[in-house]
Amino acid sequence: MPQSSHSPFGRRLRLLPGGRSSRHTLFVIPARDEEASIGALLDQLLPRFGERVLVISDASRDDTAAVARRHGAQVLELPLQLGAWGATQAGLRFARRNGYRQVITLDADGQHEPACIPDLQRAHRELGADIVIGTFPQRLSLARKLAWRWFRLLSGLRVEDLTSGFRCYGSAAIDLLSAPEATLLDFQDVGVLLLARRHGLRVTETPVRMYPRRAGQSRVFASWLTVAGYMLQTTLLCVARIGHFGGRATRSYEAQV
Amino acid sequence: LTLPLTAALLGTLIAGTILYLLRRGHLYGSQAFWWLLAAALALGLGLWPETVDRLGKALGVAYPPMLLSVLAIFAILVKMLITDIELARKERRLRRLTQKLALLEYELRKDADAAAVGSGAGPQSDRGDARSNRRAG
Repeated sequence: MPQSSHSPFGRRLRLLPGGRSSRHTLFVIPARDEEASIGALLDQLLPRFGERVLVISDASRDDTAAVARRHGAQVLELPLQLGAWGATQAGLRFARRNGYRQVITLDADGQHEPACIPDLQRAHRELGADIVIGTFPQRLSLARKLAWRWFRLLSGLRVEDLTSGFRCYGSAAIDLLSAPEATLLDFQDVGVLLLARRHGLRVTETPVRMYPRRAGQSRVFASWLTVAGYMLQTTLLCVARIGHFGGRATRSYEAQV
Repeated sequence: LTLPLTAALLGTLIAGTILYLLRRGHLYGSQAFWWLLAAALALGLGLWPETVDRLGKALGVAYPPMLLSVLAIFAILVKMLITDIELARKERRLRRLTQKLALLEYELRKDADAAAVGSGAGPQSDRGDARSNRRAG
């Protein structure tokens, strides 16, 4: 496993805004039918973060929840499928209910490199951002790059990788995004970021390493029909939100990865 | 059959069906009010179909039955819109409820584990201990 150039998880890096330690950080992993890949990710996370790792099984039809429990993670089991964002929101609600001040979300398929977590936390701390998105622009295919350019143009969001599920949410973001207002969003990307911007939250991004998916399929880019539905829905969302500006300008943050 | 009779039969049939459904409790709240209104209109227009002609003339519509069709389509559109708004509200509640259920189920499980640990291997209240006990057992 490649290591981050920063001494990973050193004492200094574990300090969060206001001098809080990363004991206040919850690691949220939304998962649907990921029994094949979730174990490897949990093996990396649990020795470091123990019971602060929360897996949300999105009405999985396989043994995702049992595998996660066996590895020692906390598990929420959604009885109905809510999609990636609905599962993530369940994690945010858990965080709010249990007093966590920071949430880091990772995909269950092993795309995200846990060693980059301090990079996200550092961007969050040093920029005072409410949402930090871990981006890996190289992973984007031409089709995705075009799609993201389209949405950036429509929404005015200056974020390179809109759908990345490797994110850090601060307490203001946890409060806002766990509310009913964010419940009807179907995807975690444009809608969530627009909502955050409308409420004056600061969104920023930082480059991270990512890997190809270990197993399973991207939910958004599963089939052309899904893509078409996604494009239409997100376009509509952008158009409906035109004029809802406000919030502070986003800044890009270059971490020394 | 004459035209007034056909209209009256149709109107009564629609109104009767709606009233029956209301009585059986298949429609409720604001939906019930909307459909009651629809039943009254169907009955009224069925019994006095010439109302449409008179209204059409008053509004300067050359072919009065068109007026009825346009109004009916408009009413259906409004009703569908209201239905979709209601559906979105229900979907939001369903999703919140689903999340809440998962959260409460988690807490129940945690408490049960803690109780099992408490009765078995001595007083341990920490979640981590509960978990390791479950793994061992």
